[in-house]
Amino acid sequence: MTPVRILSGAVSKFGELWDVSPRDLVKEVVQKALTEAGLTTSSIDGVFVGNMLAGTLGNQDHLGAFFSEELGIFRGSISVEGACASGGLAVHSGVMAILSELYHHVLVIGVEKMTDHKPEDVAKGLMGAGSSAERESGATFPSLYALMAVAHMEKYGTTEEQMAAVSVKNHFHASLNPNAQFHTPITIEQVMKSSCIASPLKLLDCSPITDGAAAIILSKNKTKNEISIIASSVETDTLGVAERESLTSLASSVHASKEAYAQAGIKPSDIDVAEVHDCFSIAEILAMEDLGFFQKGEAAEAIFEGKTKLGSKKLVVNTSGGLKASGHPVGATGVKQIVEIYEQLKGKAGKRQVDGAKIGLTHNVGGSGATAVIHILRRN
Amino acid sequence: MISPVKIWRNQKKIEALLGKVGEIVSWTKVYVPPAGFISQAPYIVAVVKLKEGKNIICQYVDWGERELVIGQKVKTILRRTQESDTDGVIPYGVKVKPVN
Repeated sequence: MTPVRILSGAVSKFGELWDVSPRDLVKEVVQKALTEAGLTTSSIDGVFVGNMLAGTLGNQDHLGAFFSEELGIFRGSISVEGACASGGLAVHSGVMAILSELYHHVLVIGVEKMTDHKPEDVAKGLMGAGSSAERESGATFPSLYALMAVAHMEKYGTTEEQMAAVSVKNHFHASLNPNAQFHTPITIEQVMKSSCIASPLKLLDCSPITDGAAAIILSKNKTKNEISIIASSVETDTLGVAERESLTSLASSVHASKEAYAQAGIKPSDIDVAEVHDCFSIAEILAMEDLGFFQKGEAAEAIFEGKTKLGSKKLVVNTSGGLKASGHPVGATGVKQIVEIYEQLKGKAGKRQVDGAKIGLTHNVGGSGATAVIHILRRN
Repeated sequence: MISPVKIWRNQKKIEALLGKVGEIVSWTKVYVPPAGFISQAPYIVAVVKLKEGKNIICQYVDWGERELVIGQKVKTILRRTQESDTDGVIPYGVKVKPVN
């Protein structure tokens, strides 16, 4: 793939932001991104907005125009929805826009406002990403991933303690990230004792409900010290989990990552740092295997042993704290992942910096695996 | 909102799934339900492999502790699914129960 340059990236604070509106969130991150890129709004000729729930929960659709009005950028402005992969799909759309040569400077925004609403209404809204059979059975997203966890435990002997280790690692990373929702390290015992949401997944196996926004600016122009997107792939699968061939692997992740490695001309072992879609602890285990970092059945023990934690000489995973501990404002997540890798490759990730990181990967999943989006970034 | 038209259209699908046998492939007990299912929690959601080869997702009901295992034989039945809304339509759908 022809590399697409990232000129800048910004994230808002993630968390329960009751005094901040979606407009304020977006204005803040876009202003930061424009300042870093040395651009003004007049240079932007295309806007892509990743969001899932503004229509369902906030009664506001037509987000392209909505945010363009707020920002004063009255150019092509397009809203992209793909459940929890909305942000990743917005980035993919931005990359396509640059590669099409119809746009020169594209602003990609990811935003979600979730904590204004009751948890059961958010749970129901999120199930819009599932199949009708899943909704009729009273399934929730934790329960769909629980079905995969039970199958993974049965097939590979994966344990609840190994799953808990994903949350422990990601909370440790989040404690070093000023923008993360949670800054408190947790223990395996705390995860094991937290209340059950959908067996075997407990509260601390699950990503939280979060408000937040992120923005990046993409360009076709070469710049100094450039960081580029060198692969952008999307693959899809059946909406529902039951219809899939396997409950222990996401085929969309497997196929999208293979496609991305081919576009970039690299192997999984070339990746220094990755942000993967850990909406639930089991999801990071599946991702580690599906993206080719570990053999099937071997990721859980490796994570438990700390092999993907900051300080490891090899691949480090979810330095932001991941969805689990940095927070998961669903439409913002896929864009935030890009910003985290961008900061890592620039060497500006502060206390959570992976020394010498040169190549990074982002993995953003929609629904229970119906959509997977992979991006690979490289520092030249 | 529960659409009466949608319910009427989906009846044919439900009918085609009744009286089938299969086995539990995976299951989970849901403690935190979405809106419309609050009164039923906790309940079991399962993936079931039907004998004819197709996999479905549905609630697993009328089970005893011994029957809460992967590989348990089950059959499909018609049951009320979620709570009615203001229109008063009572939605029915497919669930499974154990057979021994």
